[in-house]
Amino acid sequence: MKRYGQIFLGLSLVALLLWVLPWLYNLITLKPYSTPFTLYSCTVHDFTSLDRSEGRGFQFVDTKGNVYGDEAQPTFYASVLASRGTLPDTLEGRKVTLEEIEQNAVIASSDPKDLNRTLPPVYLLLESVPERLELKDPEDALVSRKGSIDIVEMASNTLREEKTRLFNAALQAEGFVYPARYFAGKPSHRKAYDEGYLVTDAENKVFQVKQINDTVHVRHFPHADGLGVHFMLITEFDNHATLGYLVSADNHLHMLRPDGEVVRTEVVFDPHKEDLLLVGDLFYYTVKTSTEKGERFWALRSSDFSLVDTLERPYPHEWSFPGLSFTSSNDGWVKPRI
Amino acid sequence: MNKMILYKEWLKTRWLLLGILLAMAALTFYCFLNLAKVVEFRGAGLLWEALVTKETVLTEILRYVPAIAGALLALGQFIPEIQQKRLKLTLHLPYPQGRMLLAMALYGLTALTLLYALQACASAWVLSAWVPGELVARVLKTMAVWYLAGWAGYLFTSALCLEPTWRFRVLILLVAAGLLRLLYLSGIPEAYNGFFPWLLLYVAASAGLLFAGVARFKEGLQD
Repeated sequence: MKRYGQIFLGLSLVALLLWVLPWLYNLITLKPYSTPFTLYSCTVHDFTSLDRSEGRGFQFVDTKGNVYGDEAQPTFYASVLASRGTLPDTLEGRKVTLEEIEQNAVIASSDPKDLNRTLPPVYLLLESVPERLELKDPEDALVSRKGSIDIVEMASNTLREEKTRLFNAALQAEGFVYPARYFAGKPSHRKAYDEGYLVTDAENKVFQVKQINDTVHVRHFPHADGLGVHFMLITEFDNHATLGYLVSADNHLHMLRPDGEVVRTEVVFDPHKEDLLLVGDLFYYTVKTSTEKGERFWALRSSDFSLVDTLERPYPHEWSFPGLSFTSSNDGWVKPRI
Repeated sequence: MNKMILYKEWLKTRWLLLGILLAMAALTFYCFLNLAKVVEFRGAGLLWEALVTKETVLTEILRYVPAIAGALLALGQFIPEIQQKRLKLTLHLPYPQGRMLLAMALYGLTALTLLYALQACASAWVLSAWVPGELVARVLKTMAVWYLAGWAGYLFTSALCLEPTWRFRVLILLVAAGLLRLLYLSGIPEAYNGFFPWLLLYVAASAGLLFAGVARFKEGLQD
């Protein structure tokens, strides 16, 4: 038994040192690194990055090194330019107004850590057409179960039987196959309007479920069938240009239009490994994906999501001490990893 | 003989166990009283929302209770054995020392498990009035790691008490600190789901440290 104790403590201490020493080394030696905020410019027609060099003020630099002021991003800084009276009235050869620019400003993001974790199969259900117009806190929740999606009244924690029956009948009528795999939604009343949830079924088909007047409606998007959708974002932007973003089995980003049309883009990213930041305006969407190695940018035309330009920015290679760790910035699990 | 050992352990720890039971009951009651007030004033929907959209299981106030209970019980069980040199006497009883130590450790682990089960059942019972089984299961799976920390706290504190040499006491303390840090590394609900069985095996394997310490004690190694 003495020997067992020695071996147990010895192995445990080795694991402890492999965990603590690299962590300590990296904590002491790693330096913060930030990349400049970059957007595709509708005036310069190139990617422009915010230059924070000392003494240069608030300036943008394009990929060729040319320096610009706020006018390089007239849509992103529209309010600032408008307050100075320098907002152009014509952009990309068409008349624009501040209101139109603001209505078409979109921002979306996703983080692998939000996906790579154990999530409860419970989804708060908002009323999309509230009686008094303003969105209210949800009263019911969807509970995804093996052979159904139940609707439970939260206040009493009881199943709303008739509502559940009607909802599941609607799901089946649209060809939904249980169990549901993925729910994408923003169950918060702090938004302009509610589009409910985008849901994938066991066959990765995409559906929208949305509560209107206490009845949950189901809509199937046949154009997304066969894409093997494994990630979705619901957008709920002021301009109603899209209903959501889908990522197919080959990791291509697709735009889901409100009419059900699915537009494939050239943006390729793995939502389980890469961060996504999408900033769009009236003319262009800048999509940034980032990993530990670097950033990739895509500029898409807002009207049809066709590719306009790309940019890659690798991070400087910084050696970090390899060792044992139990957490990761990419997931929410505790498990050993090298 | 087993019965005698268990009776001896009971005599040694009954008041301590009662104290731990009352403290755990009080804290659990306080935790759920707070939640009951939230439900009364703002509705159960707020609990649902917190459990679904935030990194909480609502019972975080109980997080360190099992580990403290485990360490206290081990101290209550084994400090008297060491301080009053009773361990030497115990080990000379006409009974295999391994089985004796096993009975003592099993007594402690069973008592702790009963306390933890009581707390977990009470939590599940109260929560199930407000939220569905899926969310209750989420809370309990998250709390399971805290109970594992409780068993680890018990076993490592027992090993520290029974270890006769300072060199090994320091090593045990270092490993115990690392293990507890690991068990409290993340506050994300269900973060340990996949790793839990391996951690359970490791904690179970750490019980061997008690026997190793006693073996060294029997050999006369002592600082």
